[in-house]
Amino acid sequence: MNEMRRQHPLAMLWSLWKLVKNSFAFIVFLFILRHGSASTWIMYGRIVFYVAIAFSVISIIWSWFTLRYTADDKAFQIYSGVFNRTRRTIPYTKIQNVSRHTSLFHRLFRVTSIRFETGIKGDDATFQLQVVSLSESERLEKVVAGHKSEANVASDAVEPNEEPVMRPEHVTLEEDIQLPVKEELERNVHYKSTRKDIFKASFTSLSFLVLIPILGSLYSSIKDFFPDEKVTESILLTWLDTWWITALIITGLIAVSIMLGIVRTFVKYGDFQISSDRKRIYITKGMLEQTAFSILKERVQAVKITQSPMKRLLGLAEVELTTAGGVGESEQEVNSLYPFLPVKQAYDMISEILPSYQVTQEMQKLPRKSLWLRMLIPSWVWIIATGLLFYFKPVILGQNQAWWMISAILLLWIVICRITDFLHTRYVLNQNFIQLRTGALTSTLYISKREKVIEVQITRNLLQRWFGVASIQTVNRAKPVLHHTLNDIPLEAVEAFQLWYMERSQNVQTR
Amino acid sequence: MQYIQSTPEQRLSPNAITIWRISAIISNGIGLIVLAALLVLDSTYGWMAWIGWLLWGVTAISVLYAVWEIFIRPSLLYKHWYYDANEEFLQLKHGALKKVHQIIPMAKVQSVTTNQGPLLRKYGLYSVSVGTMGSSHTIPALPEEVALELRNQIASYARINEVDE
Repeated sequence: MNEMRRQHPLAMLWSLWKLVKNSFAFIVFLFILRHGSASTWIMYGRIVFYVAIAFSVISIIWSWFTLRYTADDKAFQIYSGVFNRTRRTIPYTKIQNVSRHTSLFHRLFRVTSIRFETGIKGDDATFQLQVVSLSESERLEKVVAGHKSEANVASDAVEPNEEPVMRPEHVTLEEDIQLPVKEELERNVHYKSTRKDIFKASFTSLSFLVLIPILGSLYSSIKDFFPDEKVTESILLTWLDTWWITALIITGLIAVSIMLGIVRTFVKYGDFQISSDRKRIYITKGMLEQTAFSILKERVQAVKITQSPMKRLLGLAEVELTTAGGVGESEQEVNSLYPFLPVKQAYDMISEILPSYQVTQEMQKLPRKSLWLRMLIPSWVWIIATGLLFYFKPVILGQNQAWWMISAILLLWIVICRITDFLHTRYVLNQNFIQLRTGALTSTLYISKREKVIEVQITRNLLQRWFGVASIQTVNRAKPVLHHTLNDIPLEAVEAFQLWYMERSQNVQTR
Repeated sequence: MQYIQSTPEQRLSPNAITIWRISAIISNGIGLIVLAALLVLDSTYGWMAWIGWLLWGVTAISVLYAVWEIFIRPSLLYKHWYYDANEEFLQLKHGALKKVHQIIPMAKVQSVTTNQGPLLRKYGLYSVSVGTMGSSHTIPALPEEVALELRNQIASYARINEVDE
């Protein structure tokens, strides 16, 4: 089991493909745009290019040979480096979550890429294999998962006297371990996206607004074709003069963009599936490129439920799991349970997947005095904007008095935002859970366990002291660190919060 | 259930006031010298009018700020700085206008360091910084023996490992 392994040989091809992709701009410039050019610097440029490519190819092959890894019984040992040899040890206990990304390239050759994330800062925090065979990735995932169950036995053994509340969970854990690790644990599928869901979802993302930048670039490219600006303007103006052509163009564009939005959503979120067994949560998504993500339930640091105004209208919400390890590059973010869940289902799913999380819908509102306080806080944005408007007094749509109108609209908008934020704000301390909801337009409900909050902070500024309120802030492990603040809650609640946090050692397991 | 201390009570060294004052004098002094040089250059070379206005405005604000940083802030800061460390929590409380109270579980402390710059050395003081997984916190000025003891104490309390890590 413990022999040294290299990456799949296709990893070299993958790196070559990436190299070609990255040098594409140079190729176009040196060999296509300046095709017939005989100037010396182009020639030198080409020589430099050939040398660089040769070096890169050699280094790709060489580093493929030098990158070796083994999975022993406690940790991954990774050896790498062409000139500087590095040896990394990543213990399985530090691995927070595992994600697999299968791009089209990978699907073509029936391989995948795998990433093991730890909660540690820096580049060396992840163990990533760019190309790995499906069976090898299964094996690695199992080694990590198998080890974790043993780690739990160990922690059980060290601490015999823990809270009775924790008992039931541990009994099940012991049962788990009696099973051979290789045996698949039973997986429940909690959610599978249907076509209808995705269709609905494609409207909430407002992805058809992508059109605006596309139109902009289209316009500028048309302009490039007709270097004389007056020509373009006159063409556009004559088009726009006939209203029905304009209307036709606009409807056509909207239809196309909606279609594009639907396709995009299908590609991105199609085949979305959330499942879990007793210990882990699995999320897979994507039609062309597939991404799979798994996390140990105990390692979920916090849960966030967000609702944008559009989603609120349609009764949808996004549930996000906060993990201490990063979630990879932004385009393949997979820490989110389906982003377009019906609200009721979202709540149910949390209690289903994470039985140790309790979500309550009964939460406390802010006292009225907090609203007055929020109204009193000067809005710097408004003050600065009004100052600038007053100074420049721009004439907009032929309106000389535009400056104070804009200022008034801005003020109204800010007041409305503050009021909706006040109305959205809720908080509750529920045994060892904390739930905070905030947000003016997009509301966010944050739920975490006391033992997962790594730090708290209570602040009171001058105004808050006069009103007898304070702000609380929690900190959770995540990449980047998750700070969550709730402003202007009454002092009694703050005191309760402090006491609640200081009793955290009751639920904490130590090893 | 053990007794839970809800607000920290330990103080910094009173010398902190002097140290803050000296460092404020140094930093503001440098800033004002630079401004003065710019003003001299402005009047000798006759730069554009708005530069002069800007410079005088910045100078006025800097002088006010210097007064605040040298004469008012150090004693206020000292008066409102409290800390405490017990087996379970490190607590920091500071700030006169905006009061801040931080509670950091010992189990989440990752590192503790004592630092000493030239000013602190002159008064035999140390600052203690505590790093957690999320951030870093500094207790600015403690007498040597207190600082070293606190450092060792935090290090020994922080040895408890929570399962989560």
